[in-house]
Order: sequence, then structure tokens, then C-alpha cells
Amino acid sequence: MSAPAKYDLSRRSLFERLFEPPRIGAMAPATKVIVYTVLGLWTLFVVFPIYWVVVTSFKLPQHVNEGPVYIPFVDYMPSLHAWQALLVTDFGDTLRSYINSFVVSIGATVLCIIIGSMAAYALARMQYKPKLGIILTFVAVLLAALVVTILAGVDWKLTMAAALAVFFFLARALGKHFKATLGNGDILFWIISQRILPPIVVIIPIYLMFQQVGLIDTHLGLILAYTVGNLPIAVWLMYDFFSGLPIELEESAQLDGATRFGIFWEIVLPLTKPGLAATTLLVLILNWNEYLMAVFLSTSKAQTMPILVAAMNAGDRGILWWTMCVVIVVMILPVIAMAVILQRFIAKGVLLGAVKG
Amino acid sequence: MSFRKMMACALMVGASMFGAAASAGAGEYDGVTVRIMTRPGKVIAQRLIDRGVEFTAATGAKVEVAEVPFAELFQKIQTDWSTGTNSVDVGVFAAGWAIELAGAGLLEDMTPYVAKDTKLDEADIAPYFRAFQKIGGKNMLLMVDGDFQMVYYRKDVLEANGLQPPKTWDDYLAVAKAIHGKDMNGDGEADYGSCIFKKRNAQSYFAIQTVAAGAVQTQGTTQGFHFDPDTMKPMVNNEAWKAAFELYKETGKYGPPEELNFDIGDTRGLFKAGRCGLLIEWGDPGPMQIEEDAAAIKGKLFAVSALGWNKVLDRATGKLVPVTKENAPYSIDGVNYAPFAAFGGWAGAINAKSDPKTKEAAYAFLSYMNQAAQSNVDVTIGWTGYNAYRNSQLDNPDLWIKAGFPADLAENYLGAVKGALNNPNMASDFTLPGAQQYSGVVLDTELARYLAGEITVDEALANIEAGWEQITEDFGRDKQIEFYKLSLGVSNK
Amino acid sequence: MASVDTIAARPDLQGPAGAMKETWPEWFDRHSRHIFIWPAVLMILVFAIFPTIASVIIALSRIRFAGGGFQVRFVGLQNFARQFVGNDQIHFLGRFNQMSALGWIVSLAVTAAMVWWFVKFFKGGFNLVGFLGRVITAGMIIGLTLMFSGTLLSGNAWGTLGTTLFYVFVGCSLQFLIGLGLAFLCSMPIRGKSFFRVVFFIPLMITPLGVGYAFRMIADTNKGPIQPFWKWVGLENFSWAADPWAARIFIIVGDSWQWIPFIFVVMLAALESIPRDHVEAANVDGASSWQIFREITWPQVIPIAATVMLIRVIEAFKIVDLPNIMTSGGPGIATESMTLHAVFAWRANDLGQSAAVAYLLLFVTVVICASFFNYVVLKQLRKS
Repeated sequence: MSAPAKYDLSRRSLFERLFEPPRIGAMAPATKVIVYTVLGLWTLFVVFPIYWVVVTSFKLPQHVNEGPVYIPFVDYMPSLHAWQALLVTDFGDTLRSYINSFVVSIGATVLCIIIGSMAAYALARMQYKPKLGIILTFVAVLLAALVVTILAGVDWKLTMAAALAVFFFLARALGKHFKATLGNGDILFWIISQRILPPIVVIIPIYLMFQQVGLIDTHLGLILAYTVGNLPIAVWLMYDFFSGLPIELEESAQLDGATRFGIFWEIVLPLTKPGLAATTLLVLILNWNEYLMAVFLSTSKAQTMPILVAAMNAGDRGILWWTMCVVIVVMILPVIAMAVILQRFIAKGVLLGAVKG
Repeated sequence: MSFRKMMACALMVGASMFGAAASAGAGEYDGVTVRIMTRPGKVIAQRLIDRGVEFTAATGAKVEVAEVPFAELFQKIQTDWSTGTNSVDVGVFAAGWAIELAGAGLLEDMTPYVAKDTKLDEADIAPYFRAFQKIGGKNMLLMVDGDFQMVYYRKDVLEANGLQPPKTWDDYLAVAKAIHGKDMNGDGEADYGSCIFKKRNAQSYFAIQTVAAGAVQTQGTTQGFHFDPDTMKPMVNNEAWKAAFELYKETGKYGPPEELNFDIGDTRGLFKAGRCGLLIEWGDPGPMQIEEDAAAIKGKLFAVSALGWNKVLDRATGKLVPVTKENAPYSIDGVNYAPFAAFGGWAGAINAKSDPKTKEAAYAFLSYMNQAAQSNVDVTIGWTGYNAYRNSQLDNPDLWIKAGFPADLAENYLGAVKGALNNPNMASDFTLPGAQQYSGVVLDTELARYLAGEITVDEALANIEAGWEQITEDFGRDKQIEFYKLSLGVSNK
Repeated sequence: MASVDTIAARPDLQGPAGAMKETWPEWFDRHSRHIFIWPAVLMILVFAIFPTIASVIIALSRIRFAGGGFQVRFVGLQNFARQFVGNDQIHFLGRFNQMSALGWIVSLAVTAAMVWWFVKFFKGGFNLVGFLGRVITAGMIIGLTLMFSGTLLSGNAWGTLGTTLFYVFVGCSLQFLIGLGLAFLCSMPIRGKSFFRVVFFIPLMITPLGVGYAFRMIADTNKGPIQPFWKWVGLENFSWAADPWAARIFIIVGDSWQWIPFIFVVMLAALESIPRDHVEAANVDGASSWQIFREITWPQVIPIAATVMLIRVIEAFKIVDLPNIMTSGGPGIATESMTLHAVFAWRANDLGQSAAVAYLLLFVTVVICASFFNYVVLKQLRKS
């Protein structure tokens, strides 16, 4: 069959030359113009705020208050006073927040990815059948214990110990009678639905909990809180990647005598490198930028960068826009570096996948 | 900034060489760390840090200042002290918040320390603030800054338009209307008659009280203008507050279009650039106008202690009646004034549960900040956020002229401040449990909704009344009556 | 795992009486079922479930800080009742004056649709779980419609519940359309694909707090960069921050700026994973681009689109930083989301009310997301 008229280059009208693609897999000139224009406009929309933030970090107060000035050296003389304030005068504070952010974010990300991938792998490959009755009993006992602690003021160590004892006793006694079970899908849904929980709901009890065991204003406390916050996402994404892997590879490895953990570590994880890299990057970004939990769970020693940003809103002195922009710029640099590093894994993996498939 | 650092270093070297001029002996508090928590930014905190360095050189005690966003400050201190976390030894916060903390037994009684303190010179502190430092007769706070609101006007703009400085709030409106749209800083752009920080969750709820106080309180500080002292019934749903609300909204016609989203940082940026004719503000604009970035208004922003009303509230009927010497004994020429001590001032309080040596060192530091030698310098510097509260600061214009004030400005500014501080009808801010909820939440929210046109003024006032009653119920009406009467005991007489 | 021959050949692995001695890896392996999943479950139990239940108790009481601790007073459903019929009704739900004719029409229409939906369900056979699920979903839909008709459609202002739903539905739809559009354009044979991919991803990396402040700076009609444009268009005296709808729209602009990259990246990956030969074959057969998209591309990306939108909607319900920073919830309460409502209540030391509002948000989010997933997504998946 000969090619349709629109691909017969000799017989094309002006309209067709503009709007029909010259060959399969390419774009018509008019389409090209539209596409590049739209993408260009969006690039402008994305880049302008960032440009504005960078440029403002070099402005003096009057350059901000007296009306907009756009281009350094042309509209105004850039000044390093904000950078100096943050990196020289207040260097101790800035450095401390920076280090705290690093330690907490990386720690939480590592913990979250490890625990999350293990759980996701388990849900993808192993069968779980928790009994509904046991779960309901647990919740009921917990509720009773909390009511007693909060409303009757009994010491929490006592009620928690008692609750655990009661629960185990009940589980043993009534366990046989519970028949209804839940499956992997339900567990997965439960884990993922934790993400729906607005942090504001849990932050006060967590504050009180941490305060009782001395975890307020510590790195460990923040790491634990952040990990739990992002566990659902890690589990969700890794579950998708794991279930996409062909099971034959693992089955043959099992026959060869490999341990579960060995399979996980040496076969499954390397295959999901791009997925792992993408999930790690996402969780890292979320941890790096977390504000609400940092505000509640730290006072001074463990303050992270987002709090430094908020502190630039000095209330009745006004927002120190110039220093705030410096903090924002300084905050985004490590993330970009991290993204560049992990990007190679993601891209490589995609290529591998394309070749394979 | 580097100048400040140099100053601090010089002081440190000087102090260590001459063996300290502080109230404690050298090395007395070696190994002690005083942990302070306050709001962030140069304001308030930076001075604590700078003086902390001097204090360390003099006594060996380390001073650590932790900064927490203002909106969360009270929360964090209260939670820290009431849950026993005790990671903070000294809180520097709004003096009005102390009543709630003191009522819960969380504050250290400083009276014994004050009795032994030879350098404090309590008598020098203006009477209103001296009494403010006491709760139930005991010294619980040491001020570092005295706050109340005044009205400022651009002298040059008013003179150029043949206007007199306003005396009443109706005058304020008239002046604002007359100068709105004129070019006040020579850049060819129309500027604004009046700039007020009307943003929700910012400082708007202070300004409205500055406006309303003069219409409601006539018999002196002990009368109060928020509640009936015997029943705690809110006194807000009446013609006086209604007139205040309506006037407050009306000023919006002669202000920047964005006023509803302006907090104090925005209005300060505006008036420093010379774009505002009238302001409701604290004491800061006085010293602020001589800073480098305020060149447009240096020496031009004059102050008035308070504006008044020529009609006041008749408490029996809830209606406005003209001012007479009987119903307003402190009125002048038929106008009743009631300067509003908005915010009270930044003050330091000590955690009752810190260990004794730390508490001693903490007191010594707060005293050091409060003493005339340090305080008198600090209040002349605009960016510190510290405003005058000692008589020695106000009686001596040379201090201010040395800092850069033109002579006529110094006279006017000090006169206005003294006028307010010594006014027997000074109106107090909320200083009872739930203070933040009464003003910063209920009053602020309903005011914002009224300004945004969401509700009518009658609905706003009714909602405020209902909201205040709920808070009173929550805390226990009888206890609140007790606390309210206690807080009104503060007076200038 | 090890076979019988191996054991016999490995005397070092044999304990007394010839039985196999377990090594560490093998013990680990035997319990791998538990070791893999329990860390995650435990963490969630301790740090999420436990506090959530504690929060229920807080929501049912009034708490005061006093002396060296708290005074907790149980008050039942008072905190919740306040949001619906008490002091806070106008704050939470909105103002209900006269319901307009349009409001009545819409409410009745939606109720009728729900009834018809139930009828359809009953025809297909009854099961308890399905019935309960539908009751909850229908109840929520009718409730929200009544609120919507009584407030917005009747010319009144609505409260934080309405504002939150506005951010979620309008914001997320906009973000999905633009994100999908951009991904579609980027998936075409253009040059500089990786450049666009990297640049478009950057907004996601900035802390939401920073985005809020940056946009507040930019949107300032006095000092911000768009001031000349604003003046040129004659809007010099219009302040977006003083108008409820303009303020809400600006928040959506800021939110979209940050979150469209997320949708873009995922949809781009999805579009790129579609085998090219289908598309090219269709091209050869003379199909138009729109037809190709509708018949070939779209069905293949539906599952991923559903997942990414579910994630996005769940996050959108929790929006707090942008309204807090850009307008402090103003003008009045126009831009206050439910999380912000809870934060303000917390700041006022009203822990009970804060927890109550947060729980209402949880409830609304769960019902809407679960309904969306069950009745829309699964249906689409089953269809294709």
C-alpha cells in the first residue's frame, strides 16, 4: 500500500506543509512551534521565582522596599550583606542548622528506605493472614489504657505494661475463636493510609511521648518522627516496583539455596535500582523540607534549616527578605546535588529497562 | 554589623581587663549556663546575645539564646516548663503572658533577689512598669523593654498642608483623608494617608485596642476596658467599641490597598521609605527614623502620646455620651485620652525549676540588662526593639541627641513617651490567663473578618463577646475575676 | 533451604545427635517473614496509631496547662458539636442564611442522583460491606452538597471545610491537566528533553515554606516584580490579598507551581513507557493525534494517573504552609484550610478543638479518597 497522500511530499499544500508531520515520528512545523512555545513559557514560569529569590539575596533593604529592581549591576548594585550576615556573622547558627538538617534527613531517609523496602518486599512476596479479632482486641486494650492514662492520670509506664499483659492474655485465650483474617492487600492499605493522617493530629501526643523519654530536641527523635512520616510513601512506591519484577528469577535463586535476605539484597534490589533511586530522592526531599514536626519536636540544639527560614520572619522587624532568600538558596543546593547524583541511577536504569524490554 | 561585633569585643576586652562592672563578681558563675528562649531576629534576641558576651566575660556564666518563631514562643515555653522538660532557664517574652505562668507556679519569685540588688535602681523604672514587674505583690519579671502604642505623624507633610497634629480619632481620619494621595517622599508617586498593620494573626488586635481604649476607659487604669471587674462580663458589645471598629475600618480608605495583608514589617518598610502620613505604632519608629535606611524620613516623624475621644461610653446604657469632667475626670479640653500599653513589653522571667546556681546567674543577667548603664544605651538604638521604660532614659535628651536625634525630635519624642507613661488613665493590655486567646485569637479573628467584609460590626462584637465568655468559662469564672482584679491593680497613681 | 546431601557433607554444621545446627543467616531466614515486616509495623503502631488514638481522647476533652502538668476534662462530643452547630459553625462550615433557588435545585438533584445510585446497587444484589460503604459515601456527598448550596450558591461565605475542598478539587484538577499536558508535550520528539525534565523538577525541591515566602514576595503588588504589569493593567488599587477569591486563587497558583512538577515527572515516565510501535502504526493508518491519545495512550496511563492523583489529593488535603505564610488564613478566614484552622487552635492552647478539627479532616479525606479509589479508579481499571 502506498503511503497516504499526506506523506507524499511532492503533493502537499501550504496548509499540509505547516500542520502535517513530514514523516512518521516527527512533528509538523506548526506543531513544533506550539510545543516549544508552551514549554518555553512554562520554563519561564518555573524559573522566574527562582531567579527572583537568587537575585533578592543580593539586595539591600531599600532595593526591596522601594519597588522592584530586576537585574543586578543594571538596576541596582548587588551587595553581599545578607550572605555575610548568614555565613560569616551568624555562621555558628547557620552551620548548626545545616548539619542538623543533613544528619536528620540522611538518617531518616536511610532508615525509612531500609524498613520500607523490607516491608514492601515482604508484602509483595510473602503471605500474611493477621486475624481481625486480634487486631480489634489490640485496639480496644490500647484505647482503654490510654483513657486510663490521660483521663485518670495514672502513670503511663504502669498502664502500658498492664495493657501489654492483658493483650497477650486475651490473645492467647481468645485467639482460637477468631476466624476472619485480613490479607496482604489490607496491610498494604493500612500502611499507605497512614499518609492520609494530617501530622497535626499526632504531633501533640508524640511530643508528650518523646518528652517522657527525653527525645525532644535530639537528632534521634527527629529521625524517628520523620521516618514514620514517610514510611507509607516508601512502602507504596517500592511495592509497585517489586511486584513488577518477574518472580522466576527469585524462584530459581531459591532453588539454588539462597536465603531470603540474600535474594533480597543481591538480586531484587539491584534490579529495582532506578525505582530505589527515585524513591530515595523523593523521601530525601520530603525529609529535608519538613517543617511542622521540626518546630514541635526541637527547641534549639536540633533546629533544622526550614526553621531557620521561618525565623527570618522576625515579626515586628518585618520579613528579612534578603537573608531569607540566602537561606532558601543555601537549602536547595544540596538537594540539587543529590538529585544530580541519583539522576544517573534513574536514567541508567531506564536505559537498561528499555534495552531489556 | 561588624561595628557591633567590634563593640562587643572591645567591651569584652575592657571588662576582663578592668575586672568587670557587672553586679556579680568575676568568675562567680563559672561553669553555669543560662539558657534563654526568645523570639528570633536581631530584635530583642541580638541584644541579649551581645550583652551575654559581656556578662560571660564578667562572671563566667555562659549565656545561650535560643530563638523560636514568635507565634510559637509562648507555646514552647509553657510546654517546656509545665511538662517538666526544663530545657529553658529564662524566657524573654511578652510581660502579659507571665500571669498565666505565674498562676501555674512556674515562675521563680525574684523578690529576694531584688531586695539584695544594689544596682537595679527600681525607683528609676516608670511607675507603670515597676508595678508591671510584680504579680500578686511579688517581683516575677524584669523588663527589658517598655511597650505602649502612640500615634506618629509626618510633621513636614502636615505643615505643608496646613494641618494640625490630630487630637482625636476623628481628627486622625480627617488628616488622613486630607493628605492621602499626596507625594510624601518626592518620588512622584501618590502616597498613603494612614498605614496600619491590619493583617490577621499579626499585630492588628493591638491597634484596635489603642483606638478603643480612649472611648471606654475614663476612670484610670484600675477601671479597665475589657471586662466588668465584678462579673467578668465582656464590655465589648457597645457603641464605643462599635465606633472604634467602624473608624478602624474607615482608615482603610486612606491607606495602602494591601493593608489587610500588611503586618508590622510591611508597614515599617513603607514608612521608612517615606510613604505614610500617619501611623499607629509602638515606640520604635522614634529611634528607627535615624537609621541609615530611613533617610527619607529622618527627623520628620513626630509622636503624639495618644489620641482621644470626645464621646465616651456610659457603662449603664452602653451608649456614647459627650465627655464631661464628671464622667471623664482625666479628660483635657473635652477629650478623654487613654494610652494603651499594648503588649506590655518584653520581660524576662526565670524557670522556678532550674537549679539554684543557674537561677542566681539568670537573675544577675536579667538585672544587668535592666540596669540603667546598659538599658539607657539599648533603648536609643532602634534595631534592638527595646523601648524606653526608665525615667532616666526620658529625662535626658542628651542621650538621644548623642544617638543621632535632632533636638526638636528628641524633645517631642520624649515628651510623648513621658506623657503616656505618666498618664493616670493608661489602659492595660490583657494580663490574665488566656490573654493570648482573648486578644490574639478571638478579637483578632473577628476583627479580621469584619475588615474583610465577611461579617457586620454588630456580629463581630457579638462573636467577640461570646468567644470571651467561652474562654472565661474554660478557665473558671471565679479564678478569672480574681486574676483580672489583680491585673488591674497596676496603676500609675 | 539447604538440601539433605549438603547437611551430611558438612559435619561442622551438625550439632550433637547429628541434628542440624542453625547458623545466623539460617535463623534469620526462618524468621524472615517476621523480620521483614515487623519493623515497619512496629514503627507505625508506636508513632502513628498510638498517637492517633491518644488524639481521639484529646479531641473528646478540654485540656488546660496547670501547675506541673495538664488538667484534662472529658466533655464528650462538645468540640465536634461546636464545629457543626455551635460557636464555630460559621468558621468551619460557613454562613447559612436563606438557601437560594439554585441551592435547592442542586441539592435535590444530587440527592436524587444518590438515590438512583443506591437503586442500581440494590438491583445488583446486596452485600453488607458494599452497602455500608455506599451509605458513608452518599452521606458525605449529600452533606457536602448541602453545605455548598447553603453557602456558596446562596451568596454566602463558606468556612474552612469549603476552602479546603476548593484547594483539593480545583487545585488538583488544574495540576493534573497542566501536568499531563506538559508531559504529553515533552513526550513528543523534541530536543532538550532532559533539560526540560531537570528544570521542571526543581520547584519540588524547594521547601514549601520557601515557596510560600517566595510567592508572597512576588505577588506583592507594591514592591514585587509584577508591580509594573499590575499598574499597566489598571489594577493598581486592587489588592489580591484583600479579596477572598483572588487570595484563594493565588494560593492555588503557588501550590500548583510546586506540585505540577510531581505530576509531570510521573506522567512523563508513564507516557514514555508506552511502546512506540503502537503509536507509529496508528500514525501510518492515518489516525489523528487526538484519536491516538484517546484510544491508545490514555488507557495505558490510567492506572498510573490514578495512583499519582490519589497521592496528590491526599497531600493536598493537608495544605497548611502556603495559606499560613501568604495570607495568614486571611482576608478574614477566606484562605484558611482545615489544617491551618487546627494549627491556630493549637496556638491558642485549645488542644481539644485542634484535635477535633484535625479528626474531621481525617474523616473527610479518608471518605473522599476511598470513594474515589473504589468507585472511580477501580471501575476504570476494570473497564480497560
